[in-house]
Amino acid sequence: MDINCETIEHLASLSDFSLSDEEKTSLTNDLQNIIKYISQLDELNTDDVAPTYQVFEMENVWRNDEIVKQDANREQLLALTKEEKDNQIKVPKVL
Amino acid sequence: MKYYPTIGIECHVQLATKTKLFSEVDNDARHKEPNSCVSPVDYALPGMLPRLNGEAVRLAILAGRAMNCEINASSRFDRKHYFYPDSPKGYQITQFYHPIIGEGYVDLPSGGKVRIEHAHLEGDAGKLTHFDSYSLVDLNRVDTPLIEIVSMPDIHSAKDAHDYCKELWRLMIFAGVSYGDLYNGNMRFDVNVSLAPEGSNELGTRAEVKNLNSFRSVERAVEYEIKRQSKILDAGEKVIQETRGWSDATGETTGQRSKEEAKDYRYMPEPDIPPINLSEEFIATESAKLPLMPKDYREKFGEIIPHDTLEILLDYPQLMRKIAEVAGVLPEEFNSGHTQGRSAKPTVPSQTSSATPAIKLLSNLFASVLLAEEKSAEYLNDLPAGKQLGDLAEMNAKKELSSTATKEVFLRLFDPQMRNKDTRSIAKELGVIQENDLGALEKIVDAVLAKPETQKAQEDFRNGEEKVIGFLVGQVMKESHGKANPSSVQEILRKKLA
Repeated sequence: MDINCETIEHLASLSDFSLSDEEKTSLTNDLQNIIKYISQLDELNTDDVAPTYQVFEMENVWRNDEIVKQDANREQLLALTKEEKDNQIKVPKVL
Repeated sequence: MKYYPTIGIECHVQLATKTKLFSEVDNDARHKEPNSCVSPVDYALPGMLPRLNGEAVRLAILAGRAMNCEINASSRFDRKHYFYPDSPKGYQITQFYHPIIGEGYVDLPSGGKVRIEHAHLEGDAGKLTHFDSYSLVDLNRVDTPLIEIVSMPDIHSAKDAHDYCKELWRLMIFAGVSYGDLYNGNMRFDVNVSLAPEGSNELGTRAEVKNLNSFRSVERAVEYEIKRQSKILDAGEKVIQETRGWSDATGETTGQRSKEEAKDYRYMPEPDIPPINLSEEFIATESAKLPLMPKDYREKFGEIIPHDTLEILLDYPQLMRKIAEVAGVLPEEFNSGHTQGRSAKPTVPSQTSSATPAIKLLSNLFASVLLAEEKSAEYLNDLPAGKQLGDLAEMNAKKELSSTATKEVFLRLFDPQMRNKDTRSIAKELGVIQENDLGALEKIVDAVLAKPETQKAQEDFRNGEEKVIGFLVGQVMKESHGKANPSSVQEILRKKLA
């Protein structure tokens, strides 16, 4: 997979990041290295192997439909955000 | 040029679970303070583990069966990535590769059929309110369980688009999987519209109108899109593939953004939620909980209840169930016939034919008396007992209650204080039971005929003045304090004056 500066710019725009040219260069290098490392797996023949979606062999981990009082309350959670207003999270205009 | 429209609809249905899809907080945020139904899982704090609500799986099975869909034995969740403040996780947990609900179809009341491609479970997003220079985020709605129902492009008119959405709504409320409260966004529709020259086999470029929340706006938006796209094509231009927004106020759609390509969502398997693997037995047990559906009522009552009345009542599952209860079509009996197989046709007990007058009377009272009442919404939540309504129908059939008295007693039955009384004593208290006892009636008639003021009328009648019978009937009615059955009175009078 070819990772270049445009790939990084595309990913950044999807996540609404602004990156400096320096960051773009270093991230391009980092991502290239990561992909290269992972690509070693391509050497294996996996034709007869079913894709792995789940590393633990668990299934149907369901819970009951009952309300449980939460340890964290609204004030604590809102305190984690950068800015709040009228008990809501305030963000830059998005539309 | 003439164009043939092709329409596909995606519908988001909020499931009526107590808690959210992945966290144990209250799922019903109506009338609640912003961000008061939010857990650290919904906030996507680092290290939080979503846990699947089993009830959402069960409701998804019911929803699927309501649409005649296959239920997939194996399904699982995926992450759909996008960056927007309504989703603190930065992705939506959905079922992209292996949805729980497979192919099926929805029958339209008009006789058409819309195939369902699939439907999947996913979490809803938070709510944004936009202001001049900022937006506010309320996360109460984050991960409310949704099923997204994807239709095949089988719809070809604005009217059918409307009817399909309405029928879906009915299926969901009859199945009991959603409150179906459109005003509060329990069901939202995205509509894809494309046009092709009539006779062409190829589909045109489609535009998608997002987030419609009423059947009427679905219909209007489709009408608008057909006109807009026709104009573009007539001018020799091309329709752009894009997402458009709808305004109820202007009655127009406007372009929002060019559609992101699917790969931009970077779907990947959700590692936090193990797959759903359902046994045949589990699917059958859950499917059997599906109550009578609109098509069952149409099949059963279609020839008894006038079409228009039935279609009105089919917006109210409580009323249809009450009629079925009085008619002796009990959901339990009905359900034993339901299985996972598509061919399983419900069999309905046949003893209901004797219940025909009761079905006719109740459907009429429900549609034209109850629903016309100002308090009808309140009444719907607390209906009279089946026995009370059955007795009412019986008294009406035996002419013990005139049609006016029947209506009066009927409305009285909705008083919660009447719940433990039987219909007969309520009617007695109201003093509206008609006197049908011929012996008793004869005595009253004799008394009236003996009165000096009726002598002239009797003579006139014998001399062929037909219309004075009305006067005499009136006198008897007065004497009986309105309780006599007028047609019986007339019959006796005619015999006596012959």
